[in-house]
Amino acid sequence: MEIKETTQANFVTLSPQGDLDAHSSVALDEKISELLSQKQHFIHIDCSGIPYMSSAGLGVFISYLDEIGASGGKLVLSGLQENVLEVFGLLGLNQLVTIVGDGASVASEFQGV
Amino acid sequence: MKAYLRVRCNKEYLATIREFVKARLQDLQVPGKVGHQIVLAVDEACANCMIHQHQCDNFSTIEIAIYKENETLYTEIKDTGQAFPIHEYTPQKVKEIVKKRAKGGLGINLIHRIMDEINVEQKRDYFIYKLGKHVGSPAKP
Repeated sequence: MEIKETTQANFVTLSPQGDLDAHSSVALDEKISELLSQKQHFIHIDCSGIPYMSSAGLGVFISYLDEIGASGGKLVLSGLQENVLEVFGLLGLNQLVTIVGDGASVASEFQGV
Repeated sequence: MKAYLRVRCNKEYLATIREFVKARLQDLQVPGKVGHQIVLAVDEACANCMIHQHQCDNFSTIEIAIYKENETLYTEIKDTGQAFPIHEYTPQKVKEIVKKRAKGGLGINLIHRIMDEINVEQKRDYFIYKLGKHVGSPAKP
């Protein structure tokens, strides 16, 4: 899985490309783990390049929610395609994870951090 | 008529399974949203078999069959060994999974939320996960 990384003033954006399943999610897991080990706790995932996500992909995000929250950081997801958003909804994860629509909303989520 | 696919227990083949299921659902005129949910549930069940039954052993295989009976779409996953009783499994609460910082536990939860029927048939040296979803009749032209 290709994952583009962009560093902003106060957060890092990861843009994975392709299906996020039990096979490909390992790469994203390693990338987030790497950021956290570098004390980067403000992370934005641009999901617009993910046409399909299984529970393995969801598992990557929720496994870090508690750790990121405990460190005072923030995990924000944006650009979720309809099918992917539906999977979050099926499990009620849309209530636990910060999900926004566009770039301007992402920036405002990290304002003042 | 049943359509079959046999794949190695390598997670790389999950994409092949999804394409197979999608194509078959299209043939059977299963509508988009329901179709996506079925693809997801089958992906989850197959990933479970590959990871937990076979530890992703490339020399083991699983077989997937899809067919429609009346207004229900059935997927059967045939695997060797002892079945995990997914039909009796009580899914963990999502908030508990978050608290445990666990990566797993969501797949079976999704299967239970999506499928209307979940059965496990244990045979002598293999088992079958049988997942059913009510899909109705295709729209008339």
